[in-house]
Amino acid sequence: MARLRHHPDAAALNWVIASALVAMAPHTLELPVWLSFAVAGLLAWRYAGLHHGWYQPGRIVRYALTLFLAGAVFKEYGTLLGRDAGLAMLAGLIALKFIESRTIRDYLLVTFLLYLMIAGDFFYSQSLAHGGYMVIATLICTAALVRLNQDHARPPAISFRLAGTMLLKALPLMLIMYLLFPRLQGGLWGLPGDAYAGRTGLSDSMNPGSINQLSQNTEPAFRVEFEGAVPPNRDLYWRALIMWDTDGREWRAGKLLPLESEAPGKFGEPVNYTITLEPSNKPWLVALDRPSTVPKLAFARSGYLIQGRSLVKKRVRYDMQSQPQQRTGKVIEVIRQRSLALPDNTSDRVRQLAATWRQQYGNDRDVVQAALRHFNQNEFVYTLEPPLLGQNPVDQFLFETRRGFCEHYATSFATLMRAAGIPARIVVGYQGGEFNEGGDYMIVRQSDAHSWNEVWLENEGWVRVDPTGAIAPERIELGIDAIRRLSNQGLPLGSLSPELLEQAMRLGTLARAWRSSLMLWDNVNLQWYRWISDYSFERQEKFLNQLGVYAPTWLGMLAGLLGAVAVLTFGFAWAMRIRRKPKDPVLVVYNKFCRKLARAGLTRKPSEGANAFAERSADTMPALAAHIMGIANLYNELRYGEGSQDLLEKMRRLVKEFDLPNKGAA
Amino acid sequence: MPWVAPLSGKSVSLSRRTIYMLPTRHGFMFSLLLFVLLLAAINYENGLIYALTFWLASMAMISMLHTHRNLLGLKISAGPCAPVFAGESARFTLILKNELALPRQGLSVLVDKNEVGRVDLGAGEQGSVTFPVNARQRGYVDMPPVALLTDYPMGLLYTWSRKIELHHRCLVYPKPGPARPVVGGVDSQQKRELGTRSEGDDFIGVREYQAGDSPRHVDWKAAARGQGLQTKRFGGDARSIIWLDWEALEGIDTETRLSQLCRWVIDAEADGMIYGLRLPGREIKPANGEAHRHQCLEALAMFGH
Repeated sequence: MARLRHHPDAAALNWVIASALVAMAPHTLELPVWLSFAVAGLLAWRYAGLHHGWYQPGRIVRYALTLFLAGAVFKEYGTLLGRDAGLAMLAGLIALKFIESRTIRDYLLVTFLLYLMIAGDFFYSQSLAHGGYMVIATLICTAALVRLNQDHARPPAISFRLAGTMLLKALPLMLIMYLLFPRLQGGLWGLPGDAYAGRTGLSDSMNPGSINQLSQNTEPAFRVEFEGAVPPNRDLYWRALIMWDTDGREWRAGKLLPLESEAPGKFGEPVNYTITLEPSNKPWLVALDRPSTVPKLAFARSGYLIQGRSLVKKRVRYDMQSQPQQRTGKVIEVIRQRSLALPDNTSDRVRQLAATWRQQYGNDRDVVQAALRHFNQNEFVYTLEPPLLGQNPVDQFLFETRRGFCEHYATSFATLMRAAGIPARIVVGYQGGEFNEGGDYMIVRQSDAHSWNEVWLENEGWVRVDPTGAIAPERIELGIDAIRRLSNQGLPLGSLSPELLEQAMRLGTLARAWRSSLMLWDNVNLQWYRWISDYSFERQEKFLNQLGVYAPTWLGMLAGLLGAVAVLTFGFAWAMRIRRKPKDPVLVVYNKFCRKLARAGLTRKPSEGANAFAERSADTMPALAAHIMGIANLYNELRYGEGSQDLLEKMRRLVKEFDLPNKGAA
Repeated sequence: MPWVAPLSGKSVSLSRRTIYMLPTRHGFMFSLLLFVLLLAAINYENGLIYALTFWLASMAMISMLHTHRNLLGLKISAGPCAPVFAGESARFTLILKNELALPRQGLSVLVDKNEVGRVDLGAGEQGSVTFPVNARQRGYVDMPPVALLTDYPMGLLYTWSRKIELHHRCLVYPKPGPARPVVGGVDSQQKRELGTRSEGDDFIGVREYQAGDSPRHVDWKAAARGQGLQTKRFGGDARSIIWLDWEALEGIDTETRLSQLCRWVIDAEADGMIYGLRLPGREIKPANGEAHRHQCLEALAMFGH
């Protein structure tokens, strides 16, 4: 078909340029700097050509630029394919396509490609902010499409309103497609390996001070939604790692050990919960002490640990079950050996202290209690700012500084227990958490990182012992935040009366408001994550189960999707059905009057004015002359004078009261 | 679409049954884009790319409703068409009436699959598209069937109407022949030749140029001043009566005769003469003026029809 309009007006092109800038802007963070400048330069060149008549490159120059782009991208990335190089090529090609575009068709293609750039941004992040940016960028690109299809320049608000209306109407359809489109288990070709920078968090070795350095880091480590009641703070021990081996200074997870057995019998009510773990770039997953299930894509490790099958490079979400009262069975010899090993450099003072307790108490449990009493009754201090320790930290801490953080107590306690012949290990993870009331979930932060011990007691198995609790029960009861607040107020730990403690912990109005707004924001982000990044095959199945659909097939889901989309589309079509301009209410009343007269055989001729018709009618029916003329006058007043609602009502009444004489009488 | 009957009538309103819809070439391009996006979303299991894909797909569906409504209920009728001379172009006018409380934009009028005009209509507005059709022969030229098409607002889908036949036609006068002196039929004492002018002729004013006026009478000076084309009128011997007679042109074929008479009518009117026309079986009494000119030219146009 031959068309009249091939070239968009220059003003329409400003829209395409604006769309390109908006769609490409987030990519400047990822693209090489030279490419960002090149793309911006090409856009500016086209703009100058359009509005200031600058020279525009011919075909040879454009081909040369394209070759140069491909070469430069290849030099930068070593390939032209893949996510990053592909996006860089796309950005460059869009700019080059733009500079050679002349017809509306060319510009439409450019705008379509810009949608790809908007989507490309989500490879890097799917945060709420990126989602919000998508809405704005999509609106601008869509308005540009509308503008390209307009023949004449109109106020920009018109293109925006139309694009906005269509996108708004599209939202319910989009929601249906989004929720019901069958998600696949795993990607089509497998996820490409994306490099992530190292994250702060736990590591698989522990020095004095390594957990302490996290105490200022309030980044969330993970979030937990409990299915039932939330356990009290003192029971919230989140396991991540176990340190088995030490050289006297550093503790390490060491080589793999066989799985431990469980004692026979039941262990009380299990706790069910879902964890959303932040990326750690480490393989381990956290679980409440002690986990009794293993999520998909993970496996169990010795010491009731759970490890993912790959590094946690992006957020993961998994369902868990734990049994806090679980008891382990017999300890096997390999594990026993590992949990009794002491380095040769363990000082005599430490060995002597342990030996004293060993002599004093026959029972292992009494030795454990003696150690805790030792911490509690001597001048040990729990502090966020412990002094630095030298080559033999355990000895130095126990007999000299006596000021330490959880890892100081855990390492010392483990060393003492091993010296006393009791199998002991250090568990590293998190303790406590902050409850988000609005979202009904718990946030556990890096600052909640904690280390404690497990000792193996005959007939009891591995038993959790937290020496930190012996010095600073507030850390376990109230959490690390309470410790910080108490130490900021210069209050001592472990000796405050409950009233004083409560008073010290109370927050001001402003602080409370700030805190709840932070909680709200965190909740919004978590929900965003749940429904955007984590809406996978499993989540979709769970969601459909909640709707009462069990074991959905993808064919059934597609059918449901198409059905719902069809219903909604017809709904919109109905809502958008043609509505003519409302009829003039004056005419409606007057026509009613004319119909009444028509019943008496008086029809208004097409050329006859209202006055002439009224006079003719009045002549025919003198009895009703006054009534007829009254209506005609009102009609004239309303139609040609300054009508009002009152006059209209009056006319309506007169017409209603207008009665023809009976046929017999006439 | 040849298998559907065209819409016909003096005025046509586009109903649901008379308009159709298909994706445009850009629409196919757009669905390719959606496919690429969907593959990326599936492969990278990326929720936001899924969201964008479905949002754009839904937007395309909604744009379908907008495009459809852009044509639905549009009223089409024909405007007046001024008579032309054979060999010229008849200018047909299509009147499009938007009775919606919403604007309609980017409406194209198609004749023979070629776009002949585009128009935007505001809420409740009426607009027109004028397009030329070659008038080869005297008589009538029919308005060709037209069709309406629109791909507004997204250009992803287009809606078009069935062919519309408005049964409208345009009168075509015979092609004016060469300027020649009137033969025979001069009904006054002062026999004079048309087309040659003596010094004493009075210039009585100008009127707007009409198709067929002799170029010699055009006021070129005024045209050069940018006042548009105007024809000078001379009224020298205003009262002379002249008969333009078919019989006087014996020995030449019918069409040439009609062309010659046509030229004489034009010139006689331009010269302000009183002229009558004699055709076999019809005589138009001598008179003067636009209506008379039209009557004479129409008689020539319809001769033998």
